[in-house]
Amino acid sequence: MISSCDTCGIRVNNLKIGYATTAPEPAFTREGITFSASGGEMIALIGRNGIGKSTLLHTMAGFLKSLGGEILWNGMTAEKLTPRERSRMISFVSTERIHLTHMQVADLVAYGRFPYTNWFGRMQASDEQAVAEALEKTGLTKYARRQADQLSDGERQRAMIARAVAQDTPFILLDEPTAFLDVNGKYEIFHLLHQLARQSGKTILLSTHDLHIALREMDKFWLLTDNGAFEGAPEDAVMQGWLGLLFNNPLIGFYKPTGDFLFHKNSSGNAWVEGDGETAYWTRRALARRGFTISSKEDAAIHILIIGPEEGGNTLWQLTSGGNTRTFASIYDLMKEI
Amino acid sequence: MSTPELFVSRKRRCLLFLLLTVAVALFFILDILSGSVLIPLRELLTALWSPESASSEVRSIVFDFRLPKAITALVTGIALSVSGLQMQTVFRNPLAGPYVLGISAGASLAVAIFALGFSSLLTTGLSLTGSWSLAMVAWGGSFAVMLLILFVSARVNDNMTILILGILFSGAAGAIVTILQYFSNESMLKAFIVWTMGSLGSITTRQLAVVVPAVAAGIFLAFLKMKELNALLLGETYARSLGVNILGSRLVILFSASLLAGTITAFCGPIGFIGIAVPHLARVIFKTQNHRILLPATLLLGADAMLVSDIIAQLPGFSTTLPINSVTALLGIPVVIWMIVKNKKFTAL
Repeated sequence: MISSCDTCGIRVNNLKIGYATTAPEPAFTREGITFSASGGEMIALIGRNGIGKSTLLHTMAGFLKSLGGEILWNGMTAEKLTPRERSRMISFVSTERIHLTHMQVADLVAYGRFPYTNWFGRMQASDEQAVAEALEKTGLTKYARRQADQLSDGERQRAMIARAVAQDTPFILLDEPTAFLDVNGKYEIFHLLHQLARQSGKTILLSTHDLHIALREMDKFWLLTDNGAFEGAPEDAVMQGWLGLLFNNPLIGFYKPTGDFLFHKNSSGNAWVEGDGETAYWTRRALARRGFTISSKEDAAIHILIIGPEEGGNTLWQLTSGGNTRTFASIYDLMKEI
Repeated sequence: MSTPELFVSRKRRCLLFLLLTVAVALFFILDILSGSVLIPLRELLTALWSPESASSEVRSIVFDFRLPKAITALVTGIALSVSGLQMQTVFRNPLAGPYVLGISAGASLAVAIFALGFSSLLTTGLSLTGSWSLAMVAWGGSFAVMLLILFVSARVNDNMTILILGILFSGAAGAIVTILQYFSNESMLKAFIVWTMGSLGSITTRQLAVVVPAVAAGIFLAFLKMKELNALLLGETYARSLGVNILGSRLVILFSASLLAGTITAFCGPIGFIGIAVPHLARVIFKTQNHRILLPATLLLGADAMLVSDIIAQLPGFSTTLPINSVTALLGIPVVIWMIVKNKKFTAL
């Protein structure tokens, strides 16, 4: 459901961001940021710690003043939006974990209706309806009367997203929404956001360090690196070599064929693994972990022959180095001898 | 984990509000009844209903002493509790209260400078509580601190910083007060110590005419910012994303809290623990964080708590009363301890 209208979506033009301090020079600035996204897209903002992801998100959400340039939300200039208009345009999920006693999940989600209620905060039938729908969409309906402080981290993050959904904004910004979560929790949050983008047409911008999931789930990457910025499909970022530039560290490389990050190590020499399938793959991984360069030449310092699996289901690793040959029953035992 | 505590139903909530209101009326009458001179209930009601028909002695006791004192207790309880609730919410800290922000310390410092610093210029044996000049000085002191807090909070975007500054200021003020005490004469020292014990009884009807409108204004502002208080519970980032003007809201709320606590401290001395304990009690009883319920609940509970404290203070009866500050501390601290033990974690509101 990616919309095709011209002004729909986000335009960030030549934006300058930073923290204004009382000192003559702001403590942190970054300028010339230009990004765009179409309505209904899922965008991941990616970059090393300290590159300014949070600052950019906070500036876009209106918490920090931009120091130059402009941001357009569906064609409307961010600075011309009143706080109330902005709260109906953009909702925000922060990294902060909320701990409040005596608050039910439904109450927490009802905060999303804040921009729509009167000064007294009275909920109309339409507000109750929006809360119920937000709970439904995030799969929290049966948690509605649960105390918010008894939720797990994943459930609480889900509730904070439900709150953003209840706010009924075309744009949702999330600052590292999966930072505290285990693999299952991360997957569920990405899955939920995916559904919200596809089924409700919301444009979702999030910052994340979970590259593996982002590569598989997001429509677009906004990359901030010390060597410039990139925007485009995740796959374009990989093919153009941008992911290798992410950390500005020669010892960390991005390995295109597998989509893995590699940590360069002092070479321990060449190793030749003879065999195939999963066993050979993971044996090579183990050797790479120790700094061996995998070669297929017979002049390698060590040679490992994978035998099996045998009839009993056992696999054996036969190590030949310096003229000695020994056999091991597990990768662990093998690595101890190398 | 125990079964999740369910919400308090609308019906039960109404019942609780009714109960608290009836309790306020009941404790108010009881407070007027208690004291060194025994006045039968019938006589009291007659005096209240038609003052002309009561004996001049009863009329004098009721209207010159007991009624102003009961009204003072009522207003004090309301003001300190609501002020405590506002500060706990704005600073998202369960231990916030008039004391923590240094408002009481500001008043104490001003009173100490006035009473102890200039004691050589004043006649000896002056009673500090209830005097107009002293109230003005204390008010000035607490408002100076309030202005400082507002000034800082307009510049510093971090609540914890403001809270720490308040605590540090209280410490500095305490040190200066100690120095002043060390160098002051005996009678002024005693008068100052008595002021720090707090008193509901020395306030005059004319002073009430200042206190009541000031507290009413503070309460009005508190209710005006009820919705913003709810948003601030989630922290500034979320409040801002919901369209709240943080700076403006915080200024109004802190002004209201300072007006409430400052006024009471000025006229009654620093009275502790009501401001911390009552909002927690309200949360536990009504099982909510919604200020639409919490504000009126805190207001009523605060009135109840202060009236009960005053009644207890007069239990020894006859000629003496207990220092009100000791009573509120002895009532309030167990509540706070109970909450710590029950909640296990006191770091969250």
